Amino acid sequence: MAAPFLEVENLCKHFGELRAVDGASFHVGQDEMVGLIGPNGAGKTTLMRLITGILKPTSGTVRFKGEDITGQDTAKIVNKGIAPTFQVVKPFRHLPVGANVMVSCLCPRAKRRGDWVKTVELRARDALEFCGIADLALEPASVVSHGDLKRLEVARAIATEPELLLLDEPFGGLSPAETELMGKFLRRLHRGGRFGRLHSEGPAMVIVEHKLSDLMKIVDRVIVLSFGQIIVEGTPDEVVRNKEVIEAYIGKEVSSLVS
Amino acid sequence: MGSYLYRLYRGFQGEILAVPGRVIALIFVTLLFLLPHIIPHPLVLKIFSLAALFAIFAASWDFLSGFTGQLNLGHALFFGVSAYSAALLNVHLGVPPWATIPIGAIAGVIAGLLVGIPALRLRGFYLALVTLAFPIILIGVIFVFPDITGGELGLFGVDRLSGSRVLDYYIILLVATASILVMWKLTDGRSKIVRTGVILHAIREDEITARASGINTVRYKLMVFSISGFFAGVAGGLYAHYIRIAGPSILELFFSFQPIIWTIFGGIVTIYGAVAGVFILYPLVELVRLHPVGEIYRIVLMVLILIVVLLFMPQGITRWVRDHIEEICPRCKLINIRTRRYCRACRAPLRAEK
Ligand SMILES: Nc1ncnc2c1ncn2[C@@H]1O[C@H](COP(=O)(O)OP(=O)(O)O)[C@@H](O)[C@H]1O
Ligand SMILES: [Mg+2]
Repeated sequence: MAAPFLEVENLCKHFGELRAVDGASFHVGQDEMVGLIGPNGAGKTTLMRLITGILKPTSGTVRFKGEDITGQDTAKIVNKGIAPTFQVVKPFRHLPVGANVMVSCLCPRAKRRGDWVKTVELRARDALEFCGIADLALEPASVVSHGDLKRLEVARAIATEPELLLLDEPFGGLSPAETELMGKFLRRLHRGGRFGRLHSEGPAMVIVEHKLSDLMKIVDRVIVLSFGQIIVEGTPDEVVRNKEVIEAYIGKEVSSLVS
Repeated sequence: MGSYLYRLYRGFQGEILAVPGRVIALIFVTLLFLLPHIIPHPLVLKIFSLAALFAIFAASWDFLSGFTGQLNLGHALFFGVSAYSAALLNVHLGVPPWATIPIGAIAGVIAGLLVGIPALRLRGFYLALVTLAFPIILIGVIFVFPDITGGELGLFGVDRLSGSRVLDYYIILLVATASILVMWKLTDGRSKIVRTGVILHAIREDEITARASGINTVRYKLMVFSISGFFAGVAGGLYAHYIRIAGPSILELFFSFQPIIWTIFGGIVTIYGAVAGVFILYPLVELVRLHPVGEIYRIVLMVLILIVVLLFMPQGITRWVRDHIEEICPRCKLINIRTRRYCRACRAPLRAEK
């Protein structure tokens, strides 16, 4: 049997007494789009940060394509093909939007795997065009609207030519129309076709999200996190009907779950 | 051939003649190269030789502390290590200047890495304290071996750079021009030839995002430390051979603060600001020193000028000048001279019409 694509085993992160992530185990397949949901403070962001090495886990292992990458340097992990985005957008504010993406195009992985016919500028432009913000390429990131910064986050991540995208609340703070657009766009990105290489599979994705109804439309599988532990895993339909999930959310989101 | 020359001219026109800041820089450099013919006074020549050399030194501080945001309060270390290496090799072993200066620069690189490695772990205030300590430690080492290092008096009798002061001036000026151009190119975020500029800017803005973009920030920081050490070392080696002595005064606190004052005066995170700062402030202070009272109040004067300038031009003098003569096109972001109403390339109005 081939080793699973991403394999998280018994991952723990303790902040003093607080167990932000407490023994999470799950895996993600090479062609999967997985949703990660859970109430506020459940430890979703922390879990993402553990996988990309921004935080070092207290215990447990993360394996990517059979290789142990637990606690490695973030840049190294990104160059192996896992690209994160941040919940709170963190662009290079004084750089133009185009230069923001260009930085990703300059990482060793993007240099190696990117379209070799194209200059770095053109590659950055490709990523921006794919995300629909090519017209902002020359504007400094500090003057760009929040919705466009969210897209810039994704553009910056896909410019590293990832095989696995970890998106932390990509719909956060977006209007309903923007959310729908972003959802469709992520779906299209996952289907693959043209991005980066001429023949591309499209990256696998883990999407952390609060807006459950929008998330359920686009993912294949959902993992529910509560108090740092995975309580349920299944298809969107199964999860929506699950009693534990409804309890975890104490009914407040159930209306949106069912709709 | 003709069309090639024409394209070269058009490129020159678009890249330099149309940008007022660059025209000023070009005129300034031309004047510097003509200086020995315009004012052949030895004192003027000496002041400007030292200014050119300190320009490398200040630019290397800006390259390190300005561009990575890591405050180095002991930049004199790189300068001093190199000056002493060059002087020791020259005085004791008779190695000629063309060899001692590169060796000194390499000593600067090693010093840069020596400071750079702890700097990866330390931040802000703590890093500043550690960098402050390094040159003082080196002074201690120098005082322990007075027979070799000359101790408090310094190491005398270093060879001259060349036979004549005018030739010395040209050597220093050429090396300075080349060094500063290299540092400026390495930090130019718009450059299409070397890509380090945009990465350095990114690391300064947000290190975590830079790492999440797959950039090995540790490697770039060490690179910056060693390049900065290299150029500060070049300046140090030139200095030892120009004034023909390597003394402990070049490791003192004041010597570390000078590049900081010059750079902030001229405009930090620009490279050219550091250079402008040296060429304005250094000759001014040296002229004041000619008067017996000026000698004592040199530092007070420098700080006073700095405070006044920062009150009115908080971003430094070069940015202030640029803001008054240049206008960036709101559409294509090209730099235009302020007197234009429409962008020279895309014809967009530069300012809202009244
Ligand atoms: N760096 C940190 N130090 C201490 N506690 C933290 C830190 N980061 C997160 N936490 C805590 O860990 C818990 C999980 O946070 P987080 O992963 O951000 O949740 P989510 O993204 O699911 O809303 C929260 O209670 C939060 O306060
Ligand atoms: Mg979160």
